[in-house]
Amino acid sequence: MKIKNLFYIAILISTLFMLQACSSPALDDYSDVQFELTDQNGELVTFPDDFEGSPVVMGFIYTHCPDICSFITSNVKKVYEEIDNPSDTKFLLVTFDPERDTPEVLKNYAQAFDMDREPFHFLTGDSETIDRFMERVSVRVQESYSREVESGDRMYFLNHTDKILLINKNSELIFDYGGSMTPVNIITEDLQKLL
Amino acid sequence: MKYLTTFLFITLLAIGCAGESDTEQQSAEFSGEGVEVEGAWARPASEGRMSAAYFLISNFNDSDDQLIGVESDVAQLVEIHESYEREEGMMGMREVPEVDLPSQSTVRFQQGGLHIMLIQVTRTLADGDTFELTLHFDNSESQTIEVPVRL
Repeated sequence: MKIKNLFYIAILISTLFMLQACSSPALDDYSDVQFELTDQNGELVTFPDDFEGSPVVMGFIYTHCPDICSFITSNVKKVYEEIDNPSDTKFLLVTFDPERDTPEVLKNYAQAFDMDREPFHFLTGDSETIDRFMERVSVRVQESYSREVESGDRMYFLNHTDKILLINKNSELIFDYGGSMTPVNIITEDLQKLL
Repeated sequence: MKYLTTFLFITLLAIGCAGESDTEQQSAEFSGEGVEVEGAWARPASEGRMSAAYFLISNFNDSDDQLIGVESDVAQLVEIHESYEREEGMMGMREVPEVDLPSQSTVRFQQGGLHIMLIQVTRTLADGDTFELTLHFDNSESQTIEVPVRL
């Protein structure tokens, strides 16, 4: 086969991939799962049931991470600020470090970002539930290294997946982004399609 | 053959764009004196929590230098750190003992890359606050800069 023909085939395959992406088929369906979580106010929340009927922007963080996770948090907030009609959309930030990220800690963190208000929800849970949740949404977490601070306490840091998800009103996962790396306008444009 | 060349060119361009460096070699218009730090800012954090500081360091000297240490009374531990992608989509963070500052270049401390890690801040850092951060260099005098806190 000539190189010219190979080139045309490569273009055809790329085009098919792009067309598939444009039609935004669901990457996953969360409507058959149920996770009992707690928000920053100590209120019990069930994912996805309590958010069904609204598009959801969901990021994954731990509050001892000052760089990537604050970047993800800030990006979620920017999506809220840049979208035309955010009232129907829910914005969730779920910790994968429930041992340290209690509702009170999440509330302080939310306040630092001026996000301790609707429609933002900072969620934690018991370790077993969070582990299952992270497995379901394909967020991997592993301890990287630790430090001893002045008080004698051990402080550990985590390697983790960098991710923001866009979920439609039917609890279907439609878009999966690099949480700190994706330009906010791309997430905003995709979210507009779900409103 | 020209199709193959075009395809290879686009692929190489894409690879080149993906590998953005923290260090920028500057052009002839690059001017200043000594080692200059600018554009500093830090993330808000409540007392006892974490923050990160970012800035640009330009080395206008004819010789290379290094950032070899940082200190501040705003946190229990102050370290130079770097976020990096360990594998596809998996982010990690590591301590960096020193940072090279090549002659006539600018090094960016920015989100997702090099940053100053403020571990267990000693007071709440709110949007609009400031704190002092001292930078120690191998071949230049130490500098204390004012770092504003912002969202």
